[in-house]
Amino acid sequence: MEEHSPRQGHIIEVNIENPGGERTYRGGKICGEAPCGFSDNGSASKDAKERTASMRKLCIAVVLCLIFMSLEVVGGIKANSLAILTDAAHLLSDVAAFAISLFSLWAAGWEATPRQTYGFFRIEILGALVSIQLIWLLTGILVYEAIVRLVNEKEPVDGFLMFLVAAFGLAVNIVMAVLLGHDHGHGHDHHNHDHGYGHGHGHGMMVTTHHHHHHSHEEHGKEGEHNHHGHGDHTEPLLDNSKPGPQEKEHKKRNINVQGAYLHVLGDSIQSVGVMIGGAIIWRFPEWRIVDLICTLAFSVIVLGTTINMIRNILEVLMESTPREIDATKLERGMLEMEEVVAIHELHIWAITVGKVLLACHVKIRPEADADMVLDKVIDYIRTEYNISHVTIQIER
Amino acid sequence: MDRSNSFNHSSENPSLNQRNSDVGYSTNDRRLAYSRSFQQSHGPRTPAAAAAMVFSSGEAAKPFLDRTVSSIDMPPEIYFGDGNEELFGEGKEKRGEVSVLRLVLEIFRVLRSGSRQMKRLSLLISLNVAYSTVELAIGLFTGRVGLVSDAFHLTFGCGLLTFSLFAMATSRKKPDHAYSYGYKRLEVLSAFTNALFLLFMSFSLAVEALHAFIQDESEHKHYLIVSAVTNLLVNLIGVWFFRNYARVNLVYRKAEDMNYHSVCLHVLADSIRSAGLILASWFLSIGVENAEVLCLGLVSVTVFMLVMPLFKATGGVLLQMAPPNIPSSALNKCLRQITSREEVTEVLQARFWELVPGYTVGSLTLQVKSGTDDRPLLQFVYDLYHDLGVQDLTVQTDFS
Repeated sequence: MEEHSPRQGHIIEVNIENPGGERTYRGGKICGEAPCGFSDNGSASKDAKERTASMRKLCIAVVLCLIFMSLEVVGGIKANSLAILTDAAHLLSDVAAFAISLFSLWAAGWEATPRQTYGFFRIEILGALVSIQLIWLLTGILVYEAIVRLVNEKEPVDGFLMFLVAAFGLAVNIVMAVLLGHDHGHGHDHHNHDHGYGHGHGHGMMVTTHHHHHHSHEEHGKEGEHNHHGHGDHTEPLLDNSKPGPQEKEHKKRNINVQGAYLHVLGDSIQSVGVMIGGAIIWRFPEWRIVDLICTLAFSVIVLGTTINMIRNILEVLMESTPREIDATKLERGMLEMEEVVAIHELHIWAITVGKVLLACHVKIRPEADADMVLDKVIDYIRTEYNISHVTIQIER
Repeated sequence: MDRSNSFNHSSENPSLNQRNSDVGYSTNDRRLAYSRSFQQSHGPRTPAAAAAMVFSSGEAAKPFLDRTVSSIDMPPEIYFGDGNEELFGEGKEKRGEVSVLRLVLEIFRVLRSGSRQMKRLSLLISLNVAYSTVELAIGLFTGRVGLVSDAFHLTFGCGLLTFSLFAMATSRKKPDHAYSYGYKRLEVLSAFTNALFLLFMSFSLAVEALHAFIQDESEHKHYLIVSAVTNLLVNLIGVWFFRNYARVNLVYRKAEDMNYHSVCLHVLADSIRSAGLILASWFLSIGVENAEVLCLGLVSVTVFMLVMPLFKATGGVLLQMAPPNIPSSALNKCLRQITSREEVTEVLQARFWELVPGYTVGSLTLQVKSGTDDRPLLQFVYDLYHDLGVQDLTVQTDFS
């Protein structure tokens, strides 16, 4: 039962039949069947682009890390220094963190299955959690090693070597931080702009079909056409308006896994700075060995402090809480302001990953109101005001 | 302006409600619009109504399915503290100050009124903390590295157990503004963190075994035996407390199951590790070669196998996976039954996930022929999924 669009009108619509015969209705209100995963209105390919860009960054970082690590291992074995080998082990932990981030990024792109109906986007969050735990674990190990160094009074601490090794580590980490932090954001803008206009093209899944809806009421004839055109005029500016908004946010928000790797590298550089300071002081005053421990402790606390923000974000997503950028009370009030809406219950807004929000609620309407129209209105309101596109509304009378 | 309006409204509401929940609200239109939702919502699920619902008892229209409510009531100040935090900047500092005092009070409340398992867990944690502090002190003063490392390991473990305790205490809170589903997920999260830590531990034991293999130090630190024996005893007490959960594969019926299971596995793994150390030193004293490598390797593998099922189960819940206790065939059968009804054209988007084990949430979108009355259809769908155990279902019907 596939319908063709015989009339083009002002909207450029392309109806590409899918073998499954699924249709999308209501201007992309529903995004198709379950295996579509979670892509809405072509954000799938935008996601994929962002993901490949992030993956490329991480791959380069991993390769660099491996090169530096092998350099350090060779140097450490030649100089027979435990400190250098320990630093090489630290770089290995960096590689592990990058590997986890890389895996999470790759896995997040898998298609949804019947058991994983929302797709695999959550893996990003879990991967970020694991890598933050790794940071904590490593910080703990560093503090432990500092204590051990203090306790083991037999070995003299070579301040100069500490300083040198830490400086090298710092240089490596800075290179990595620059690599991971640099945002290739411009590509996003252009890509998205294209979407504003030809938004039916090339995806095979998304089509605005308010057109179809009015087609079936052929008897409305002129009125249908009028509505259709009116709607057409609406859609385009609406899309253009809503896109740059979240787009700016995208610029500032890195992918959470890249951010996790960046935090890891940042933490390492902070620690290296601490070790450098400690090494310099011990080089100057070899008796003040406790400075090593104090520096390590102080800088460990700083490192833990940098992870707090990300842990809070992760926890909020995992606990299915309302995302911070959305004001649930305002949304509810806005919906109640519509005349046909009498009450709202069971409003749940949650995010599947940072940036992808879903909403589910029960809306009680007046018995004489047209359920269909109210549904449209509510969904449009939510989409335009809050940019939540995955909405499930149950209309009750 | 919006902010101050809602702030005033929420803060006035309790006093209004305390006086008389049936008194009509003033003629201010906005508040009237707001209050309609209070009168008709059915429970503390609507985020904005959470505050009001604490006082007024359910007078509202009953929805299709009622969610079970947590039976322990927490004093309402907590809601205002948490719920209003997001909306009003001015509330933030107040909340920050109060929370330190509140933390101490909370600890005492937990110890007094917690469930039996919580009390046992706090006892276990305090034992562990005491023991590890003593060990750390002795290790630092006598300069023995082994004791210090053991103390660190214990401290990490204690931190995790404290997080589990915190999760148990917090998960009793009712759902509020920001956490519309409640706090029960924290238990699953703490179980996941415990499992993750145990995996890290097994990995580090494997590294230690490798280290021992390469270094081939036969000189074993004998003072560790005393600490290992004490550790073993403390952990065995813990296993006894949580003996109901001392299994590898467990069916999880409630949220706490996962948390208790993870705590039990934690203490079990710790005791296995201590036992392994004791065994290794005994073997060494007998003269078996590579005893340390063998024992550590064995312990590492055992802990890994113990933890994997828990890790997978908690990971599945956190990943929004379809509930494992509902087989796909049952879900497909339900979909077929729905599609076979004449008014339904198509089912789009049937998604299910578990909030905590035992509580399934679903959302469904149906395409129905225009003009049909959707009420019997909704009732049918709800009944169908209620039999499967889906407690919270939202069904969107699109008329074609």
